[in-house]
Amino acid sequence: MTVAKIKTKVEQELADQFAHVSGKLPGDASVKGARQAAIDTFDAQGLPHRHIEEWKYTDLRAIVKEALPLNVGDASAITIADVIVALGPLQTIDAQRVVLVNGAYRKELSSTEAQSGVTITPLSEALARGPVTAKGFGAGEAAPADDAVLALNAAYMTDGAVVEVATGTEVERPIIIAHVRAGGEAGFTAARHVLRVGANATVTVVEAFVSLPGAAVAGQMNTASEVDVGDGAHVDHIKVAVDTGAVTHLASWIGRLGKDSAYHGYHHTQGVGLARNQMFVTFDGEGAEVDLSGSYLGRGKEHVDNTLVVDHAVPHGTSRELFKCVLDDNARGIFQGKVIVQQIAQKTDGKQMAQALMLSPDTEFDSKPELEIYADDVLCGHGSTVAELDEGLMFYCRARGIPEDQARSLLVQSFIGEAIEVVEHEQVRGAITAYAEQWLEERAARSS
Amino acid sequence: MAAVQDTIDQVKDIDVDQYKYGFETDIESVRAPKGLNEDIIRYISARKDEPEWMLEWRLDAYQRWQTMTEPTWAKVDYPKIDFQDLYYYSAPKSTEGPKSLDEVDPELLATYEKLGIPLKEQAVLAGVQGAKVAVDAVFDSVSVVTTFKDELKKAGVIFCSISEALKTHPELVKRYIGSVVPKSDNYYAALNSAVYSDGSFVYIPEGVRCPMELSTYFRINDKETGQFERTLIIAEKGSYVSYLEGCTAPMRDENQMHAAVVELVALDDAEIKYSTVQNWYPGDKDGKGGIYNFVTKRADCRGNNSKVSWTQVETGSAITWKYPSCILRGDNSRGEFYSIAVSNGRQQIDSGTKMIHLGKNTSSRIISKGIAAGRSDNTYRGLVSAHRKATNSRNFTQCDSLLIGDQCGAHTVPYIEAKNSTAHFEHEATTSKISDDKLFYCMQRGLNEEEAVALIVNGFVRDVLQQLPMEFMAETQKLIGISLEGSVG
Repeated sequence: MTVAKIKTKVEQELADQFAHVSGKLPGDASVKGARQAAIDTFDAQGLPHRHIEEWKYTDLRAIVKEALPLNVGDASAITIADVIVALGPLQTIDAQRVVLVNGAYRKELSSTEAQSGVTITPLSEALARGPVTAKGFGAGEAAPADDAVLALNAAYMTDGAVVEVATGTEVERPIIIAHVRAGGEAGFTAARHVLRVGANATVTVVEAFVSLPGAAVAGQMNTASEVDVGDGAHVDHIKVAVDTGAVTHLASWIGRLGKDSAYHGYHHTQGVGLARNQMFVTFDGEGAEVDLSGSYLGRGKEHVDNTLVVDHAVPHGTSRELFKCVLDDNARGIFQGKVIVQQIAQKTDGKQMAQALMLSPDTEFDSKPELEIYADDVLCGHGSTVAELDEGLMFYCRARGIPEDQARSLLVQSFIGEAIEVVEHEQVRGAITAYAEQWLEERAARSS
Repeated sequence: MAAVQDTIDQVKDIDVDQYKYGFETDIESVRAPKGLNEDIIRYISARKDEPEWMLEWRLDAYQRWQTMTEPTWAKVDYPKIDFQDLYYYSAPKSTEGPKSLDEVDPELLATYEKLGIPLKEQAVLAGVQGAKVAVDAVFDSVSVVTTFKDELKKAGVIFCSISEALKTHPELVKRYIGSVVPKSDNYYAALNSAVYSDGSFVYIPEGVRCPMELSTYFRINDKETGQFERTLIIAEKGSYVSYLEGCTAPMRDENQMHAAVVELVALDDAEIKYSTVQNWYPGDKDGKGGIYNFVTKRADCRGNNSKVSWTQVETGSAITWKYPSCILRGDNSRGEFYSIAVSNGRQQIDSGTKMIHLGKNTSSRIISKGIAAGRSDNTYRGLVSAHRKATNSRNFTQCDSLLIGDQCGAHTVPYIEAKNSTAHFEHEATTSKISDDKLFYCMQRGLNEEEAVALIVNGFVRDVLQQLPMEFMAETQKLIGISLEGSVG
């Protein structure tokens, strides 16, 4: 039985919009070709829905009700000071800054330093010269070729940062890529970053998603980051998204790990209406190590989904995942982790943990820690727990004279803190902790 | 850590080419014509002399089945099944319908004897005084004999084939059939509802503790047939029953299908213990032949304080697609699932459980041990969910798997869904979680770590296996020695 596919209004709008804006999007002829191919893929797929296993818990077809107009270019009159204020606790980090306002790279607001071996180019400029794809991507990558969200990004991407770190270069100050939402018009931002890190180089990259006061309440983001970690290189990659409850964040990270390299990815999400962080990491060289972790704090009707696929395609790989989720009000948290150990990937060491703490009766947590193992000499494990605050611990605190609210905050802090601790850069860790504390303070203020 | 030699040897002993039950009984059979259509369903129903409503029910299921598509989400791979190329009904000519023991064809009795299943009521296993087991023997599409019927009757227990129950207790069957697994629940359940041929029916009245173990032994014998049996167990308030299921089939080059439905209903304070030793022919080393086992098993803990425990030992079948589940509807109800799944050769197992917490203070426990060897694939797929009103639900899940050789695969796909903040769910899949105290105790007494882990795990497995009757012990004993050192989630 064949059923004619019915497009939803949003799907139709997304396809129609492409026809209107494609002329304005950066890139040479081959990039344009690739964009067309991507929109065709999207067109064939439509928005992901619950009948697609990977999107079982995040039904975009049902959740996304409108297609906002694409932000192309930006000329908002904002100052560096505005950006710094918007960065909140992240402003304390001694870092270089790349600023994207409504998805457009703003050189005059950015403050990157000249260090030999490090180049940062706006994606729009790079695309004008031809397709930008990190080397090594293609066969064997963990990202599904027909992922509709990635396809949308590939079709619409307007700007982003191409960060190249040469062999052996140690980038001392972290690079903050600040996505700032500004202006009263709700829009759709599609950005892509490319991170190419040469052999034995070291770099910390923080993607921050913040909004300026007065920015539209609603907004849609679809960002993708391609990370190529060279042999022996060490990359810390952190995403901090702190926004309003009406914003949709779709973020896809695709990573490739060279021999003996290390890639530490971290997602902190709070105050985002709908967030889907998907991470696809492939081991391409032996002895590499990956850590994908995250913390998410949800309230209201927020929906946060962290989904990852780690593909151990070579022997001697180590992978660690730790996701912690605190849910309040009607929030919903989702964790889907899939670790694949290919037949040749002997001596793989993989551990995965997802935990949720439920603060209110109407929250929901769905977890699917999955293992797919074809090698026999491996050590893999996973765990997942769901619970409310331990009454015994509460009693312990109360018995020591700590008021109930404070005791609760303390316990939540220690719970989420275990995940945040994974972040290696001290100042970044401090900033995320500050955000989490802010969330708890707001919670206490609301309940008092 | 890789598997130790002991374990490798143990698993080898139960390899596909060691299949002991592959003989064929030469017995004349009556078959329905090949294929599936409404006439075949009418034929089956008429053959069994069923009431009109049952036929209607079957036809409705068939219509629904026709609109459904074969599920493809499981991690199993097999050529497309031609559902028209099967015989849906086959019965030994001499023993159509259950009879008393004296009337059963001696050939059939010999078959069961060869399988080690005692059908003679005086047969008590050597050395096990008083260990009586009532057996319902299902041969292809019919139940050939049910033992100890009189003794059970005295206790008020109804234990007979479902076709007999349709004649003697139609009201009970009508009330409960399809109430746990609706006829359009899934593709194979719908198919089964349309063409089911026989199976066991158990009714334990209020407050009765079933005086002996009940058991059904399924045997597929005839060529190109599918076996579609349906089991229905009802435990009234405060009753208890332990039920066992065993199955074997001859070795054949072509695949045969087995699509069963098992429904359990536990009312207030009732307890059902359901144990399975699944030993269908797994196919040969190259994956030729073997049974396709597509089974829907579900328990409804309808009453408060009810309990259902599933224990399964899976060693056979080319394809296993089976998820014994518990719907924990009653307050304080409890579901348990213990499973050992061993796959070898080219077997593919996709099995697990569902624990659906609906009532208050419900609890469940899942222990699953998968061992994959040869070129097999062994998947644990499970769901634990707490619904909005299921306050204080508790679950503990542990699933370990072990790979022997680098040609096989072990996969774990757990789904954990909590919609209530008072739920406490724990899922773990590591052997390191074995209590350090126990490990220390064993190691202090001179065992090395691996031996200590093996001892502890086996100690647990033994607990599960001891729930099984002696008949099944011989084949499962071999599994007992299997250690799960070096386990992966």
